[in-house]
Amino acid sequence: MLFNSIDFFVFLSLVFIGYWFVTYKSLKMQNVLLLLASYVFYGWWDWRFLSLIALSTIIDYTAGSRIYGSKEVSVKKRWLWVSIVFNLGMLGFFKYYNFFIDSWIDLFASVGYELQSTWTLQIILPVGISFYTFQTLSYSIDIYKEKLQPTKNFIAFAAFVAFFPQLVAGPIERATNLVPQFLKKRTFTYQTFSYGIKLMIWGFFLKLVVADRAAIYVNAVYNNTENHDGLSFIAATVLFAFQIYGDFAGYSLIAIGTSKLFGFDLMTNFRRPYFSASVSEFWTRWHISLSTWFRDYLYIPLGGNRVAKPRWLFNLFITFLISGLWHGANWTFVVWGALNGLYLIAEVLVFKKRRKGVFNVLLTFILINFAWVFFRANSIEDAFFIIKKICTAPGRLYIGSGDDITASLYATLAIAILVVVELKKEYFNTMFSISNHKYEFVRLTGYAVLIYIIMYFGVFGKSQFIYFQF
Amino acid sequence: MIRKEYKTSLIKLGKFLVIFLIVDFALGMISKQLFFSQETGKYARSTYAIQETDAKVLIFGSSHAHRHYVPEVIETELKKSCYNAGAEGQQLLYHVALQKMIIKRMQPELMILNIDEDFLYHAKEAYDRLSDLHPYYSDYRDDLKPILGLQSKLVDFKLFFRGYQTNSTIMHVIRYYASPQLDYKGYRPLFGKVKPSKHINEEVQSKIEKGVEDIDQNFVAALQMFIAIAKDHNIDLVFVTSPTYFTVDHSMNTSFNRIKTIAEKENIPFVDFFNDQQFMGKPTLFHDPSHLNNDGAKLFTKKLADQIKKFK
Repeated sequence: MLFNSIDFFVFLSLVFIGYWFVTYKSLKMQNVLLLLASYVFYGWWDWRFLSLIALSTIIDYTAGSRIYGSKEVSVKKRWLWVSIVFNLGMLGFFKYYNFFIDSWIDLFASVGYELQSTWTLQIILPVGISFYTFQTLSYSIDIYKEKLQPTKNFIAFAAFVAFFPQLVAGPIERATNLVPQFLKKRTFTYQTFSYGIKLMIWGFFLKLVVADRAAIYVNAVYNNTENHDGLSFIAATVLFAFQIYGDFAGYSLIAIGTSKLFGFDLMTNFRRPYFSASVSEFWTRWHISLSTWFRDYLYIPLGGNRVAKPRWLFNLFITFLISGLWHGANWTFVVWGALNGLYLIAEVLVFKKRRKGVFNVLLTFILINFAWVFFRANSIEDAFFIIKKICTAPGRLYIGSGDDITASLYATLAIAILVVVELKKEYFNTMFSISNHKYEFVRLTGYAVLIYIIMYFGVFGKSQFIYFQF
Repeated sequence: MIRKEYKTSLIKLGKFLVIFLIVDFALGMISKQLFFSQETGKYARSTYAIQETDAKVLIFGSSHAHRHYVPEVIETELKKSCYNAGAEGQQLLYHVALQKMIIKRMQPELMILNIDEDFLYHAKEAYDRLSDLHPYYSDYRDDLKPILGLQSKLVDFKLFFRGYQTNSTIMHVIRYYASPQLDYKGYRPLFGKVKPSKHINEEVQSKIEKGVEDIDQNFVAALQMFIAIAKDHNIDLVFVTSPTYFTVDHSMNTSFNRIKTIAEKENIPFVDFFNDQQFMGKPTLFHDPSHLNNDGAKLFTKKLADQIKKFK
């Protein structure tokens, strides 16, 4: 079920009423309701893959109990490996199997051996598999590291794994933050309710007005590389930077807002990343739940920065390389991850002090955009073709289909609104605020106008969120 | 305590809904005023066709209709007023909706529907682009609901909000206020001549129809409805195909064959200019391989008018 669909609004209203007006007296019943609702939410796409979520739930629940319950380190380790192998195995099979087979075939072909592609399979990628496998892994690993005690409440655990607001595209919650919330009574407050709604409204603005408007131009250019020149690729890449931000930050805000309606607090996933003055700062503001996941479960176990410098740089690089691969089974994502790793290595080697200022913000924005070319391009060949065109053939700027500039103007206007709002939040946060204005009338009118803007400028075509494919 | 929170939330939600409805009504009124004040551009042409034209001959169809039929030529040849209501990028669902709205107010003598060979093949865009009709929904609800209902089952709910009715129209309004788009009774000529190249040749050759696409039954029903409405109102109807620069084999095109069968069954005259030798391969008559330029359009309209005269 998509957040930007009428189905979701009907579903959300029904679950909300059931949660606060029917099952409110029993924590257990509320969790059962959330679990059922989450399975319905996911099954709306493809009910067959519910079995994977159920299996993941059973295996990690069992692994968690066994890790905690055993006194022998070898047994603890064995169960941890069961969890890791199952989750990463499932992810590897559904997401990367064909990619690796094809890559091997290409590798052999490049040295003159033609292999038949008989090993590749028709595999459908289950929506959100990268997110919920990482979330459940955090449960087993945290129990192994003795940061968390396993829950004996299977329903609460199953609801944690499948919690519908963040099931398919995050934020990737830590078990230490989310599981305890399923075990204690949630109380309804007007403050939380209204804050959740506000987050959702802004999330929908980011998705429907910013991301989906920018996508029209971006897709027209990136999906027809042969017909475009350097200037159009620059414009499309900058627009893509806002498209992916609007799409993913929008999803995260809707997820966080929806969770608040049920009394849950999810972690912040984006903090105005394009105001970062360095790439390392960018990664503390972009997809925070994933960055911190990789930091805690890969980078630090590898030794982090408490090792010799060459090893530290290797740790940085390998973390970003794997993060790139996490985003998709395509070499474009691997190069994108590697580029970000190289940026960070360069920053470690060149800059000793924390960077600040408009120049550094702009420089970081350019570097991030350069990496986005690989992220968005349909293939590595396309990415290099685009970069070559940007460097050698600026040509004519494409303004829209049939020279119709209106679609591009909508995107520009939407981005202008976003930049003004984020500038204000970043640098002038204490100034005038509609959401916190002392007069209720101003607050309510402000959000009513924002909804009007979404209806007036938004793209309503039930478009998928980009991060579903990861 | 919790009851108090519920009560507070309900009251605030109620207040918010009232304010939102007022905002939507007020800003929606302004948006609609702006929309209907347009004098040029695609919306202005549709509005003119729906609300003002009293032409005796009306042209329907996609960009091929809009760019190929010169009302002045038809008026001179047939001695009847003419308006070109062709709409770029639109397909049968839109054309039948437009026809229904026009027929509410006036009755032309002749309707010409320019046929695109793939009119009956399923196309998601045909549904998506029906949103061009949203601004007219409140005035033509009964006519538009069956068609817009194909796009969304909740059309009444969505179009209750005025902001949604005029979604994505403001830039169009601003653009054509700043730079009016001239048309000649709905017709907008194309200029320049096609540049034959190997690339274009290959592209067109590869378009030889395989007949593998799915026929959309909603589009078939729309075509049949278009015919039925014309017949019910005693309006003469002619189907026409426009000339193309390259030879394209349509014998395997199931959409085109179905349209011809329907026309034959319903006794609708079908004037087929596909593969017309007078146009094929003549770069001076084409703007691009599938669109005539102004010279080509004038010649084509004249030839069509001559054919229509023969039906009388």
